[in-house]
Amino acid sequence: MSAQTETPNSRTIRIDPVTRIEGHAKVFVNLAEDGSLDNAGLVVNELRGFEKILVGMEANRMPHITARICGVCPTAHHIAASNALDHACGVVAPPAAMLLRELMYMGHIIHSHALSLFVLQGPDLVLGLDADPAIRNVVGIVQANPEVAKKALRIRTVGQRLNEIVGGRGTHPVTSVAGGITFVLDSEKRAMLQSLVDEGKQLAKDLAPVVKQLVVTMLEKHPAMLTDWVAPSWNVGTVLDNRVSLIQGNIRAVDENGITQVEFPVQDYDKYMVESVVDFSYMKRVSFKKDGLLHDYRVGPLARINAMQQFSTEWANREMEEMLKLGGYPCHITLFQAYAKLVEMIWAIERADDILRDPAVNGETRVPVKFQGGRAVGHSEAPRGTLIHDYEIDEDGIVRAANLIVATQQNYAIINRSIEHAATSHVIGKSDDQALLNAIEFSIRCYDPCLSCATHAVGAMPMEISINRGGQTVKTIRR
Amino acid sequence: MQNNHLQPVTAAQALVVCIGNELVADDAVGYAVFTQLAEQGLPEAVRLEYCGVGGIALLELLTGQEELMIVVDAVQLGDPIGTVRLWSWDELPVLEGGSAISAHGIGLKDTLAIGQTLYPERMPERILLVGVEGRCFDQLGAAMTPDVAAAVPLAVAAICKELNLSFIPNRETCHE
Repeated sequence: MSAQTETPNSRTIRIDPVTRIEGHAKVFVNLAEDGSLDNAGLVVNELRGFEKILVGMEANRMPHITARICGVCPTAHHIAASNALDHACGVVAPPAAMLLRELMYMGHIIHSHALSLFVLQGPDLVLGLDADPAIRNVVGIVQANPEVAKKALRIRTVGQRLNEIVGGRGTHPVTSVAGGITFVLDSEKRAMLQSLVDEGKQLAKDLAPVVKQLVVTMLEKHPAMLTDWVAPSWNVGTVLDNRVSLIQGNIRAVDENGITQVEFPVQDYDKYMVESVVDFSYMKRVSFKKDGLLHDYRVGPLARINAMQQFSTEWANREMEEMLKLGGYPCHITLFQAYAKLVEMIWAIERADDILRDPAVNGETRVPVKFQGGRAVGHSEAPRGTLIHDYEIDEDGIVRAANLIVATQQNYAIINRSIEHAATSHVIGKSDDQALLNAIEFSIRCYDPCLSCATHAVGAMPMEISINRGGQTVKTIRR
Repeated sequence: MQNNHLQPVTAAQALVVCIGNELVADDAVGYAVFTQLAEQGLPEAVRLEYCGVGGIALLELLTGQEELMIVVDAVQLGDPIGTVRLWSWDELPVLEGGSAISAHGIGLKDTLAIGQTLYPERMPERILLVGVEGRCFDQLGAAMTPDVAAAVPLAVAAICKELNLSFIPNRETCHE
């Protein structure tokens, strides 16, 4: 998409003509009369066509059709829908199917975290927040560090290939269905997958020190990141055997101090996760309800580490301990979303390796299913956080109602708090529009919001910030 | 994909990549073009791919064998709705200060610049964007607006012309 706009109080900045449209966002910063920060937030327009397109469809199609809602996290929808259908039919997919779903998912996580870390956050991490905008872009970073960039893009490809080989298709996976997976792993495929995992492991070994060094340098450049860009909140993620899990297990919520407050099966999500309307945005925010009180909470890589503090593999656990040594536990430092992505990416590679070496992965992958009528709830931990699919399916296997809870809705309150931190450090008393834009974008990028799930894109501007003082708009900055 | 009665392409190897989300109104246009090209059939020398959100994934589709890459996507450039426009790589406006806030935001221009830096050996000699001007990008499950749907055969014809293929008008198959 592309646009050039001209309005009285705005700068005109030309943007890439075919930037994908989904990234549209508006941010407001409200200042009091004395110039101090009142509040700030992200305005997103909710895309709520799900019910419209899903209702009346055969439930069997859900893993395929929901995967096509979003081009960025199709596998998260694919697996959440498959889990929901398994529950609807009262079946448990065979162990080999669960392992293959998980393997597909590990590929998805590797690919998504690599993209987020290296391509989206790369310029922030390499240059800090206040660099000259002329050199602040991913192309500049790539040109300055071609060897690292090649490895970073290659590890993304490795993840994507794992996802594709197990998922059966590149863009939108198709192999996970109600009752299991549509193929049995053969030795040829296993060998291909193993060779990708081996390559991924080596790439992660080369890239991990680079990312860690970038985080440390960022903290040196912006010491306020350790002290002021901190958003204490509840954390929510999925737990199995007391460890981080992505496609099966209970949902666990821990409070600001890391104390487990509740753990529940996904079917009970609506007892705890409460949607509410906010007056400045079309997207419904989700809060966590316990004992009659509503709590803001975080989902995603940092939240999963805060909630579980344990992975199933050694290297990931070592990296997590190192991370928590630097960031404390529970860690509420926004920048550490990046560090947490690195830890999860390492775990995903190790876990993929473990799955391929597990003889159980070679077993039968499918059980017969029959829809009995009733509610079907399933979930997955999308790279960005907990994703829940909730369908009402009739006895003929037709979807009669659907509801989806996506990560961005749950992170909404914390994203807005991070925007306030950015506004405090880069708006008040400062006049550099580019630094402001970047600080605010950085705060949003840490969560890598999947706006296409949660919003629709109106117009072509990926970012618009309005600064209001005493109720009057004093400045609009557009990217 | 093979269809031997078509004229051979000039480019020894060509890649046509269609981008878009078939579930979202006018963003479906890339997918509709993909569907029509697939049904119509293309010579062996032309590879046809569909890529949901484009971005970095585009680079993986390039093997170094392609002389021409045509990217098909919906655009919002202020032209009348349904306008089909061809842009050569050199004509794409220069990116200024762009940085994506989500994984959806990495554009074609950035992607190709990264490709040329890291994998010059994989990059085709010619890159074209076939853009179809759209209006509605916010309705999941909505059909394409009529002017955009009507532009699908025009976009297909433009692609065939670039590939030096004789275009055979097809029944309009782009509405889902």
